[in-house]
Amino acid sequence: MISLQDVSFHYKRGKWVFQELNLEIRRNLITFIVGPNGGGKTTLGKLMAGILKPQTGMVLIDNLNTKEVPLAELGAKVGYLFQEPERQIFANTVREEIGFVLDLREVPPAESKAKVDQALAQFQLTHLAALSPLKLSRGEKQRLVIAAIMVNQPQFFILDEPTTGLDQERKAILSGVIEGLQQQGIGMAIISHDQSFVQRHAQQLITVAKGEIVDVANPNT
Amino acid sequence: MSLPILVKDLSFQYENDATQILRHLNLAVAKGEIVAVVGLSGIGKSTLCYCLSGLIPHVYGGMMEGEVLLQGQNTKELSLAAIATTLGIVFQNPDHQLFSFNVEDELAFGPENLCVPRAEIARRIEEVLAKVGMQDYRDASPQQLSGGQRQLIAMAAVLTLQPEILIFDEAMSQIDADGKAMLKAMMLRLKEEGKTMVMIEHDLDNLQIADRVLVLREGQLSPYTGSLS
Amino acid sequence: MWQTPTLDPRTKLLIVLCLSSLAVLIKNVYILLLVLVLTLAAVKLTGGEIWHVFSKLKRFISIFLAVIILQSVFTNEGQAIVQVMQVKLITDVGLLRGLQTILRFFIVIAAAVLMTTANPRDIIQGLIQWKVPYELAFMVTIAIRFLPLLQEEATDTLTALQLRGVNLKQIPILKRLRTYSYLLMPLLTSVLMKSRDLSVAMEMRAFRAYPQRTSLRELQFSGIDYLAMALSMLIFLLLLVAALGFN
Repeated sequence: MISLQDVSFHYKRGKWVFQELNLEIRRNLITFIVGPNGGGKTTLGKLMAGILKPQTGMVLIDNLNTKEVPLAELGAKVGYLFQEPERQIFANTVREEIGFVLDLREVPPAESKAKVDQALAQFQLTHLAALSPLKLSRGEKQRLVIAAIMVNQPQFFILDEPTTGLDQERKAILSGVIEGLQQQGIGMAIISHDQSFVQRHAQQLITVAKGEIVDVANPNT
Repeated sequence: MSLPILVKDLSFQYENDATQILRHLNLAVAKGEIVAVVGLSGIGKSTLCYCLSGLIPHVYGGMMEGEVLLQGQNTKELSLAAIATTLGIVFQNPDHQLFSFNVEDELAFGPENLCVPRAEIARRIEEVLAKVGMQDYRDASPQQLSGGQRQLIAMAAVLTLQPEILIFDEAMSQIDADGKAMLKAMMLRLKEEGKTMVMIEHDLDNLQIADRVLVLREGQLSPYTGSLS
Repeated sequence: MWQTPTLDPRTKLLIVLCLSSLAVLIKNVYILLLVLVLTLAAVKLTGGEIWHVFSKLKRFISIFLAVIILQSVFTNEGQAIVQVMQVKLITDVGLLRGLQTILRFFIVIAAAVLMTTANPRDIIQGLIQWKVPYELAFMVTIAIRFLPLLQEEATDTLTALQLRGVNLKQIPILKRLRTYSYLLMPLLTSVLMKSRDLSVAMEMRAFRAYPQRTSLRELQFSGIDYLAMALSMLIFLLLLVAALGFN
């Protein structure tokens, strides 16, 4: 569970984005965060993943306070997909992208290879393993980032506008990926303004506007 | 009078590719018409945009055959600066097309490049800002605006060059529902003024303002009947 | 009551140029001190925040100390003030030279703060009116405009890397360098993509159509600008002559 308790946050030299916000994201539901641009959706997502730390109040990810735990450890709990996948692609080949972190952490090569192979297969990237990530389409880049994060086996995944720039067929593939992750028991919070996508997957719907949660709904239940 | 956009037997192949991405493509767009082009990603929609706007062959290299005529003039023979007063293009990402410190500078940029007199630039800015309803944001930095407002400014920045044709290259893909509504309303107003528009779209929900919807596949355009592939 | 005059950015540039040239040319510590006082006064008069200068200076304190010690150890002249074993750690000559360096630094930073009181947009316009090629001026504009955005992206990227389970603090130094090299890829990709898109967007709006272009805005010098410029030139010459006399 990700829980926000009396969270207030502002950017450096900026106005308050959130004040005394309380929210719980449960693992068994796909939560969508919707609302107008500039209303604080991305900020909320980053707070939930521990990328931003609240000035007051706290964010607990499975009872770990994001202010106290190093990012590297939070990464084993929660994954975050930026709107631009290019922002988090680091390596020269698809295979290395998934594996380099394991190597940096000195995971034994055999174990690392097994994990990478499994992730490649799960996210339909095996045929692209030797390519440069820059050669991939946007949808493939996204799956690559998700695959690379999944080797850490996080319990939660936060996705920021994952359908941006995807056509219908690629959106359908993404839908499959999301359903697969839910079957694995991974909780998800998805920021989106894509209405058909929201309707298809939302099990909890949080509407954020002007720094406030204006509505929490449970569609399809 | 010649058509705003006439594409005759256009083929294009990128230098590093083995196959042609556009093959003997034909397109005629009448004055005041809004034509939407849909298709899968990577199918050549952006390439088509580049061809229509003269970026191919002027900026991007490759093998281009056939011709693109804007108001009867071949893009190969026009300079990009000449094209800019005929055709304006709004791209997908507002952050990659707005570069000035404030809205006023952004709108002045185009006419400044063409050495339009200062008084005339000021008049055009006034007029265009009123048209897009952004008079109050003249001194705002683009970063202070919402995604939809930024796209309106990107469009306004093109309109100060007074083009007759506008191309929207997935211009609505990164903005929220309000922003989309704003942009669509603006496009309909421009249509009333007789501007000609081509919009490349991913999102089928945005097609209702189009007079015609075409699908791009296998390098050619055909009427859209509900399937992309 | 003092009303902050709005100086033309070109005037500010000239003042900054005068002050920082003095900082580089003059060796005498007393005159440098005077230049510093003048610079701070200029910052105050043009509406800058003096505490800004000091807050920027804080970061350099350890460097200053190192400069004093290095000057003392390596010049090996003068009387020792602090001595450990045979090594003169701080000497009077070293202290003086160190002080010199610090004052120069101080002046340059204060001058930079003075420049921040000008609107970047006006600075660019000033450069263009000074016949700096507009292509160059636009490169500067874009750099200023996109730097904060890049900074934000760099932070995101670094965060994303750590969230992958890389604890930068626990990695040995050599490996850490390798880790940092992974950051280059996303940053370069982003810069390249942005600059390609931007240049296309600019060309489609007739950038570089002609060797000349008009400007909607035009800067004009006012009386106070001429006064400020004359004053700074005068001070520049006077102090330079005074410094020559002292040597």
